This record gives sequence, structure tokens and C-alpha cells, in this order.
Amino acid sequence: MVRNLGWHPVASWTWDAQDETCGICRMAFDGCCPDCKFPGDDCPLIWGACNHAFHLHCILKWVNSQTPQPHCPMCRREWQFKG
Amino acid sequence: MENLGILDSLSDECIDEILQSWNGYCSCTEEILKGKGDLSIESEFVAVVIALCRHGLEGLVKDHFLQVLEVAFKENGVSKFWQHFHDYCDASMMASNKPLQIQENYQSVLCESLEEICLQKQFQEKCLLILVHALQSYEESLMESKKSEVETDNLFSRYQLMVSSVLLTTLPRHFPEILRLYFKESLEELSTMMAEEYEGGNEIQGEGNFDLDEGESLTKIEVDIDKRYYEMNTVRNTKLVRNIGKVVRDLRSLGFTSMTEDAYASAIFFLLKTKVHDLAGDDYRSPVLESIREWIQAVPLQFLYALLDYLGDSVGYDTASSGLKSPLASCPSSCYPGISIPSEGLIRWQLRLEYFAYETLQDLRIGKLFEIIVDYPDSSPAIEDLKQCLEYTGQHSKLVDSFISSLRFRLLTAGASTNDILHQYVSTIKALRTIDPTGVFLEAVGEPISEYLRGRKDTIKCIVTMLTDGTGGHSNGPGNSGDSLLEELNRDAGNQENADCGDDFNIDDKQAWMNAERWEPDPVKADPLKSSRNRRKLDILGMMVNIIGSKDQLVNEYRVMLAEKLLNKSDYDIDSEIRTLELLKIHFGESSMQRCEIMLNDLIDSKRTNTNIKASMQQSQRGTEQGEGISLALLDATIISSNFWPPILVESLNIPAAVDQLLSDYARRFHEIKTPRKLLWKKNLGTVKLELQFEDRTVQFTVAPVHAAIIMQFQEQTTWTSKNLAAAIGVPVDMLNRRISFWISKGILSEMPGKESDDHVFTLVDDMVDTNRNGVINGTCEELLVVDEEGEGSVASVEEQLLKEMTVYEKFILGMLTNFGSMALDRIHNTLKMFCVAEPAYDKSLHQLQSFLSGLISEEKLELRDAFLFITERLKIFIHWPQES
Repeated sequence: MVRNLGWHPVASWTWDAQDETCGICRMAFDGCCPDCKFPGDDCPLIWGACNHAFHLHCILKWVNSQTPQPHCPMCRREWQFKG
Repeated sequence: MENLGILDSLSDECIDEILQSWNGYCSCTEEILKGKGDLSIESEFVAVVIALCRHGLEGLVKDHFLQVLEVAFKENGVSKFWQHFHDYCDASMMASNKPLQIQENYQSVLCESLEEICLQKQFQEKCLLILVHALQSYEESLMESKKSEVETDNLFSRYQLMVSSVLLTTLPRHFPEILRLYFKESLEELSTMMAEEYEGGNEIQGEGNFDLDEGESLTKIEVDIDKRYYEMNTVRNTKLVRNIGKVVRDLRSLGFTSMTEDAYASAIFFLLKTKVHDLAGDDYRSPVLESIREWIQAVPLQFLYALLDYLGDSVGYDTASSGLKSPLASCPSSCYPGISIPSEGLIRWQLRLEYFAYETLQDLRIGKLFEIIVDYPDSSPAIEDLKQCLEYTGQHSKLVDSFISSLRFRLLTAGASTNDILHQYVSTIKALRTIDPTGVFLEAVGEPISEYLRGRKDTIKCIVTMLTDGTGGHSNGPGNSGDSLLEELNRDAGNQENADCGDDFNIDDKQAWMNAERWEPDPVKADPLKSSRNRRKLDILGMMVNIIGSKDQLVNEYRVMLAEKLLNKSDYDIDSEIRTLELLKIHFGESSMQRCEIMLNDLIDSKRTNTNIKASMQQSQRGTEQGEGISLALLDATIISSNFWPPILVESLNIPAAVDQLLSDYARRFHEIKTPRKLLWKKNLGTVKLELQFEDRTVQFTVAPVHAAIIMQFQEQTTWTSKNLAAAIGVPVDMLNRRISFWISKGILSEMPGKESDDHVFTLVDDMVDTNRNGVINGTCEELLVVDEEGEGSVASVEEQLLKEMTVYEKFILGMLTNFGSMALDRIHNTLKMFCVAEPAYDKSLHQLQSFLSGLISEEKLELRDAFLFITERLKIFIHWPQES
């Protein structure tokens, strides 16, 4: 008879994005943007209405530099954060 | 022409007179030498000498007289003198094992025969004096008294020269040996006498010490004190010393000055050497230099003082004017006229003796340096002694050469474990840093060690273990556990920082001046290409990193080890890892440790996330029945950011359904909390705590999931064939066979050959008898905590990573070799460096390339001939380079 006293498994997390790397900084989504030290919660992803994902920090920088109307760096559509 | 003219001018009368005088001269000489020289003969002698001189035959007279003296000396003195020592021809060969009586006998023989020959010499000198008188009276008659002094000196020095040359040409080969033995034995006798005194008079000695290095003005007073002290002490030894002194003086008068000095110097040095060996021995735990110095003061210097004193001022005068002045001797006589002459000789002797003592001790210590360094922290007194000796003698290169050769012979061999080599290396660094703070010699010695270590595969691993793991590595020092090398280094660094805080900022003038005064030039052996600034950085960690080549490799290795450790944790306790990481950050910089920090951060996050997820799951699951296997409370997951971890080996594994269900619930909940992030389980990783319950006992294990999966299969059926079991848990058969051996070794399962040759049958062992027989478990309830230690790591090792990274270049290399036919290793390396600049850029070391290529050679893709690499014939067939496009 085997009794289980504790199971300590290992998992890895991943962003469920279609792409591997961020189109702006070319770093992996599962990594972090160049300004961040820690991945995951500290450096989240954000999706646009066009369904393109970027590091939040990357796209914010991009959006703030694009006045008056920001576009998605990938498809050139008007950038809007996905609801 | 002129001479012949003079001959012609001689009248017969003159010739007759000359002949007559000559005959008279010859017979007189003979008479005198026979010792019957009374007044009448002497006056006759004077008359004939004057007569001959008047005819200008002065030179002939002198030459003849000396010649006669020589013949007489040879006949009467020399042969008899040597005959005395004839018996000791063999005795000197077997000096050690002859009876004491003979020893004393030959001491007295030496004294007596020396006395005898000296008497002979004195007599001859007296004869010579008669001739000198005769010549003087001739010169007085010519009223040229001015020249006489010189003439006398000249004659006597010619005589002295004759005596010593006669003796030296007939010198038997064993005579110096006899002298040496004589001095050695008398000295030993003396030293035992003096040693007794020294023991008694230790307190006085303390005050009356020579202090040559310090203020010279004091020296005079101290010498005076010394003199009194010596006089008091030497009374008892006077007789012995006087004997020796007499022998020395006799030998000196015979022209054996240098031989005598050699003999007693070598005797003293021999004595000193024995003393040093006695004192130093094989004990490295106490300093010996001071006691050696005291002994020099107490014994040999006292003897020399007495000897020089006995011989009188002539010694000091002799040595001072001889031009043989040792460079070691300062010239106090000219600078400080107050100091008496013997003490100058004494000072020179002291310097000589101390130098010799230093050199002997240094040689002794250098010969044993390896052992000394093996028990380094305990043997630091010996190192300190050696340092002082080397400062005095400056023979650092001797140390380097001898130490390197003993390293080669004893440490850098296949039999020594890498850990031992590394520990010896660290001790060497510490010890040599004491001896030579500039680090030049350390560089020379360290080079072969690090060169050798570079060739070992497990070096990096051992270094990392040594740095981070307190207990690991110290194979022979059980008392030394607890502190890792890194902690020690950090402590040192902290101390240093305290010592010279504010290095660059508030450095005032006084501090700057002190720093400037402390500056020392680099030793002569220093390599001028390396600036001293670089060399001064002597941190142990830096030298460790130097072995590996770059800190990146070290950090990488640490990362792999850290990953392994973290993945096998069953709790989230990482305090010690955090501490180590902080220390590493200090040394390697924050940026290079970034990935490790993320790994630790993952564990901290996991703990938090785990609590969150479990809390929310328990709320929603309340009321629903738990399955047979496992409750949520038992599950604690580690969630990693896989991008920052070393590549992880993922193997498929079917874990028990209940657990699997729980895991997917857990993952779903994670997805809900952390949208849009997902969890990917690495089912083969982690740890499982199990309790095996048998009828009569329970046993606990902590194992890898695969082991748990295996043993859980035996709950449903107690016998499995390996093929079926492998299919059930979803792993390849060979993997199963490897993993299941864990349970077999614990006596839980038994293995039997199956029906087919490659099949095995495993059965659950369920009775006590079997397990007792196995001897593994014999208690009824025993708790075992076993961590999987089969070396089946969950993380790809650095070598595997490297192999993976290098495979990219395989095509390049094969292409190059096809085009060029053959290439040398470094050419391949350089070409890759030049052309592979795009992603992934070629950044491997020559060594890494070499190990990769040797892998290709063992796969028979390449072959190595005369240091050139070729593509094997076999492979050429398979390579089809695209011709078109």
C-alpha cells in the first residue's frame, strides 16, 4: 500500500501568445522587456485590437512616441488596447 | 757583452779570493744550519759574506742560502711532518666510526707535529737572521743603511713563500680533511660545553644581544658589554680555545692560512647546519628562526670571538687589508673608528653565519614546502620563517623551481582528485601571498596548477561546489565544515575594507605618505609586460576564475547546479541560496547573476501563487469528494520562468490519474488567476514523498515522480513485466530499467528474468524475511529520506548545453574541411570566429571547440592526422553539397 504524503511537481508558465517574441524589443514573450529585471507579473503582455501582442512597457513607449494617433507596429492598424 | 767584459777584467787574484770566500761561505752555512753556530763561525760568516758581496755576488749568496734552507727544511721538517699523518690517511675516510682514543690521539699528534715543524721553522728563521746581519754589516760598510729594511722584508717573505710552497707541493690529499675533522670535533666539544653554559646564562644573553641592524652608535656600547660577558664566559673554555688557537696560529705561520680558515669555517658551518636541521626538523607549527639566531650568538660567535681574540690584532688587520672583504660586511672600522678590530671580524662572521643559517633553513623549508602548504593554516610559522629567510637571501627563484617540480610530481597527477588540487591551490595562494605580497612568484607557481586544472573536466563543477557549498569538498577536514570558501572570502574582503576604509576619497596627506613609504618595487623576476597594478589584485576568487577562463562559464555552471538544487526542493526554503547569490553578486556583478536571481525569484513567486491557487481551489472544491489518491493539501508546485533556467530535460511520464487530474485542475486555476498565462507541467520533475505500508512496517521515501509512478503501479498488481510497466507509465523500457533499480536496491521490488530475453519481471517484495536478508531495512517502522542521487539530473549539464550549441557549427566545419581538405585546430577556430558573426555568433573557446571536434572524431566523422583534421572517407560519401542554385 502506497500512501502519498506530498507531491511537489514542477511547471513552467508561458504567455499564451501566438508569437514567440515581442515585435518591438525582439525579446521572448516569456522573457522580459529590456527595461525589466523580472519576467511574468512584473513585465506583462498586452494585446491590441488587431490581436498583436507586445510587452506592455514596449508598446507603451511606442504609443507615447506616436502622436497624435498610434499605430500597431506590426500591421499599421490604428492601435487600440484589446478590451 | 758588458758582463763578459767584467769577467775578463777579473784578475786571477780576484778569482782566487772569490773561490776561497765561496768555499768558506759554503762550509759556514753548513755549520750554521747544523746548529753549531757559535760566535766565531758567525764572525767568519760575516767576513766571507762581505767579501763575496764586494765582488757583486750578493744575489748569489742569498739564493744559495735560501736553497740550502729549503733542502734542509725538506729533509728535516717536511717529510717528518707528513709522516705523522701517514697513519690517518684511512682514518679520515672512516671518521665517524673510529674509537674515541684514536681521535684524541690524532688531535695531540696534530698539535705536537705542528709544534715541531714550527720550531724547525723558527730555527731556520734565526739562521736567516744571521745572513741578514751579515748583509747589513756589509751595507753599513758601504754607508747605505737606508735600503736594509726592505732587504730584510724581502728575504723573509721569500723564505715564507718557500716554506709554504714546499709544504703545499708535498701536501698529502687527506690533510685538509684531517684539519676539518680536527676543527669539527673540537668545535663539537666546545659547543656542548657552551650549550650548557648557554642554558644557564640565558637571562644574561637576552640583555647582551648584538643588535647590528639597529643604530650603529649603540653597537659600540654593546660590544663592550659583550666583551665583558664573553670574558666571563670564556674562562672555562680557555684551555680548549687556546689549543685550537695555537693550532691555527701554527698553521698560519706555515702558510696554511686559507686552508685553515676553510677548515674551521666549514666545521662551523657544518655544526650550524646540523643545528638548523635539529631545530627546524619536520615541525612547522612553531617559528625557529629566532632560536637559531640566538644559538649563533651563543655558540659559534663566542668561539670565534675567543679565537680571534687569542690570535690577536693580526687577524683583524690581515683580513681587513687582504682585499677579500666580503660585500656583506659594512666597514665599521673606517666609519666608526671606536670599534675594536676583532669585533669587525666578528661582525663579518656573524653576517656570514646568519646568511648561511637563513640559506640552510630556507633550503630545508623549500624542500618541504609542499607538506607545509598541505597543512597551511597550522604551518604559518614555518611560512613566516621562510619569508624572512627569503628576504635575506633573495633566492625566490629556487622556491619557484623546486615547488613547481614537487607540484608536478605529487599533486598534478591523475591520482589526485580535483577537489584536493583545488584546496592545495587555495592554500598555496594564501601561503605565497604571505611570502611575497606582490604576487609575482605566486603567478609563476600558480600557472602550472591552473594549466593542469584547465585540462580536467570536473574543474568548474568542483570550483563551484567549493565556492558555494560549505561542507562539500573538504574531504580531509571534517572540522572545517560549515563555511563555504565564498563566505571566507567575503569575511576577508570585509576585514580588508575595514582596514583601509575610504581608499580613494578622504585620503589625507599623511595616509598618502604612508602608502608611498610602503611601496615596494617589483621583484626582479617580474614580467615587465604586466603592470604592477594588475598584478596586485590577488584575490583568490579571481585566480579561481582565471583557471576557468571566464566568469561566465563559472556562473553558468553555478546556474546549472542551482537549478538542480531548486528543482529537487520539496519546500520553498531558499535562504541559504539567497545568501550565496548575494555573495556571488558582490564578486561577479549583479548583471551576470541576473538569471540566477530570476530563478530564486520564481521560487518565491511560486510559494505565493501556490497558496493563492490552493486557497481558491479549496473554496470551489468544498464538499466534493476527494479521490483515492491525493488531496489538494499535499500538492505544492514550483512554477518556473523557463526562459531563464538552464535547458530542462523533459521526458514523458504518465503519473497516476488522480494526481494528473489534480494537476490539470491546478493549471486551470492558474490560468484563471493569471490570464492569459498558462502552466505547462514538467511531469518528470519535482519530488514526491511516499509512505510505503506493509503488513508489519511502514517506510518513507522522498523520490522523483518517475519512481513514484512506478511504485504506485504495484498497488493494482504486484507483478509487472518491464514492457508492460513501461507502457503503463509511458517511458521507454531502458529508462524504466534504469529507474526501477532504485526500488530494487531498497529491497522493495525484486527482479527476475522474464520469458523473453530482454524482458524482466518485477515483483513487490512483501515479507520481512526478504528485506532482512537484503539487510537494507530491519526496523518495523523506519523513516528513510532518500533523494534521488543516481546522477540523472533534471537539468541539462553544461557539457550537454555546449554540445547542443556547437552542433550549429558542425555544418560550417564540415564545409570548410571539404573545401580546404585539411585544417589545423586553431585555423578552424579562427575561421569560425571570423565568419560566424551573425546569430548565433561563434563565442566558444579553443578548448571547447577541441572537445567538440574530438566528439566528431569519435563519431568517425572527422579524423586527426599530424594535428590536421580531415573528413573521413566514410563521411565523404554521405555529404552531397548542393550543386545547383
